[in-house]
Amino acid sequence: MLITSLVMSLNQLLPVAILLVLLQVVKKQSALKIGSALLIGALMSFMYMQSASWVSQWFEHQGLEYSQIGLCITIFIAVLVFAIKQKSAAFYIAVISTITLYLSHYIIYLTSFWQSNDAGQSLFIGTLLGVGICLSFSVLLYFLMNAIKHRFGMYPLFTLLAFNSAAKLLVALDLASQIDLITNTATVWDLRDVLSENSELGRVLRALVGYEATPDLMSVLIYSTSSVIFLSLCYVISASMSKERV
Amino acid sequence: MTKRLFNQCLCCLLFLSFNAASKEYLIILKDHLFYPSQITIPANKKVKLLIENQDSTPEEFDSFDLNREKVLYPNRKSIIYIGPLSKGYYEFFGEFSPNTARGVVIVGDEEAQHANN
Repeated sequence: MLITSLVMSLNQLLPVAILLVLLQVVKKQSALKIGSALLIGALMSFMYMQSASWVSQWFEHQGLEYSQIGLCITIFIAVLVFAIKQKSAAFYIAVISTITLYLSHYIIYLTSFWQSNDAGQSLFIGTLLGVGICLSFSVLLYFLMNAIKHRFGMYPLFTLLAFNSAAKLLVALDLASQIDLITNTATVWDLRDVLSENSELGRVLRALVGYEATPDLMSVLIYSTSSVIFLSLCYVISASMSKERV
Repeated sequence: MTKRLFNQCLCCLLFLSFNAASKEYLIILKDHLFYPSQITIPANKKVKLLIENQDSTPEEFDSFDLNREKVLYPNRKSIIYIGPLSKGYYEFFGEFSPNTARGVVIVGDEEAQHANN
């Protein structure tokens, strides 16, 4: 139970922590804004978790997937808008949607097993360890990305943000094929023997840039196209905005 | 005229392909175990997994190999489509009980599947 809690907390908290760090490096937000976004996100997750059992029965047991696809697309658009315009509203929408998408699973896990015999202590320690590892990783990533930003400018940061956001579209794509909205295409490569998604590095890469060991053709196309569109819009609009300032 | 006929045939084919019924496989989750824990499906065909959680706690169906993830609520049925897949072994597990709730999808020949069933 302790190891499961630790793995679960890392799986669900790491994507939120990474996105928060990347957005924070793009434009630093006040502690009040971050705190309120986290609080609203936690409340939204709780509300989503409460209604999830009911929503799951919509559209012939496919309601959850539709709602999660909506959240993934919202995150991609909000992060793109934040990267270009750096508006607070986009920051709030991106962070709250990400927390709702990921944290709700962990809340379901916690609330389900909290009542079990002897599970409380393991859940608590596992969660605490998971939060600690996430915080340590976030601090390292924050200083690394800040150093890269000062040394090489915004473009490496935009590139990582583009991959991270495109990964959310991959999640949406997997959910769409899970409910037969689209058909899976042929697997392009199989790297399960080289780097499994289940391994420590695989999990970190999955949270950071959406690593998949067995992606299909559609996933590769969507990932590369959306990353290119994200980067192009960032470069073109940033360049035109800096020209206007001159 | 020929062009119109061709378009109509194409529309019919598209409609049929979208509505082609996928073969259904029932998996039951009970006492944090999947029954059956091993299912054999044909290669290059899409199939429907109907998963019924008979436990009193939720579970999350997770598979890195199949790129699937879905919360299974207690006493509810959930549907997951998988495939078309090439031949091989594709593991799945319950993320909330990964030590007990484990299973594998074996993708093989149609003949092998009949022999298994």
